Amino acid sequence: MKDFRIEQEPKGTVQVIRLHGSLDMYSFPRLETQLQTLFQQKHHCVLLDCSQLDYIGSAGLGALIGFAKQARENNGDLKLLHVPERIYKIIELLGFTKVLQVFNAEDTAVTSFPKP
Amino acid sequence: MDSRDNIQLKKSTSRLCISAPGHGKSLRQIRVIITDLSRQIGFQEDEVAKIEMSVDEACANVVEHAYDQSRDWILKDNPKIELHIHTENDRLIIQIQDHGQGFDFAAYRPTNIIERIRAMRSGGYGIAIMRQFMDEVEYTSDPETGNTLRLVKYLKKT
Repeated sequence: MKDFRIEQEPKGTVQVIRLHGSLDMYSFPRLETQLQTLFQQKHHCVLLDCSQLDYIGSAGLGALIGFAKQARENNGDLKLLHVPERIYKIIELLGFTKVLQVFNAEDTAVTSFPKP
Repeated sequence: MDSRDNIQLKKSTSRLCISAPGHGKSLRQIRVIITDLSRQIGFQEDEVAKIEMSVDEACANVVEHAYDQSRDWILKDNPKIELHIHTENDRLIIQIQDHGQGFDFAAYRPTNIIERIRAMRSGGYGIAIMRQFMDEVEYTSDPETGNTLRLVKYLKKT
C-alpha cells in the first residue's frame, strides 16, 4: 500500500503527471490542485501516467472527465497512459474509456495532443 | 481486537466488523481489508475489484454526505463508519453503517452512467456504480440504529 504521490515532468508542450498510490476522495484534492494550477498557467495538454496507480474511485474519474472537458475547450486534452489492467477493466466496463483516451506508449501519447 | 492505526477490527469465525473514523483517510485501509477478504473468500480478481470500488463508493458517500465536514458536531463527536461483513449461502454481505445525515434513497433517480460520462459530468456516479457492480444494494435509515447500506455479492462457482 503506497502513499499517494505526484511527479510532474514537461515533455514539450505536454505536462506528464506521474501518479503513485491510490486516487480516492482523500488523495484526489492534491491532484485537483495541481491540475488547476496547470490550467491557470495555460497548460492544457496533460498526460497522466497511471503505471504506479493501484486504485481510482469515481470521484477521481468524474473529476478527470471534468478536467478533460475544460482542457478540450482550451485546445488541449487530458489523456491517460499505462493504466494497470485491473484499473483499465473497471474504467472500460463503466464506460470512462469512451471519453478518456488511454495510451500504452508515452511517445505516441505525447505526439497525439493538439499542436499549439 | 486488532487495530490498524485508528481502524478497529473484530473477527469471529463467521463475521468481521470494522470500525473506522468517518474520515477520507480511512478509505484506503478499508479497501485493503475488503480486497484481502474478498480474495480469501474465493472471488475472482475482476469481482474483487468491483467489490473494492463499491465499498469505497459507499464509504466515500458516508464521509462526504452523511458526515458533512461543514457541520460543527462532526468535529467533537468523532463519527465512525462501521462495516459488518459475513458470508451466507455463497453470498458476501457487507453492511455499512453510519450515524450521520440520512439519505432519501427512495427518491433517488437511477443514473445512467454512460449518458453521464458522454455528457462529461464530473460527479454523481457512486450509487450507480454500486448498483452495477453488486448483486443487491439496499439502504435503510433509522433514528435509533442509524443509516445502513447493505451490499451483497454472489459468489459464482466456476
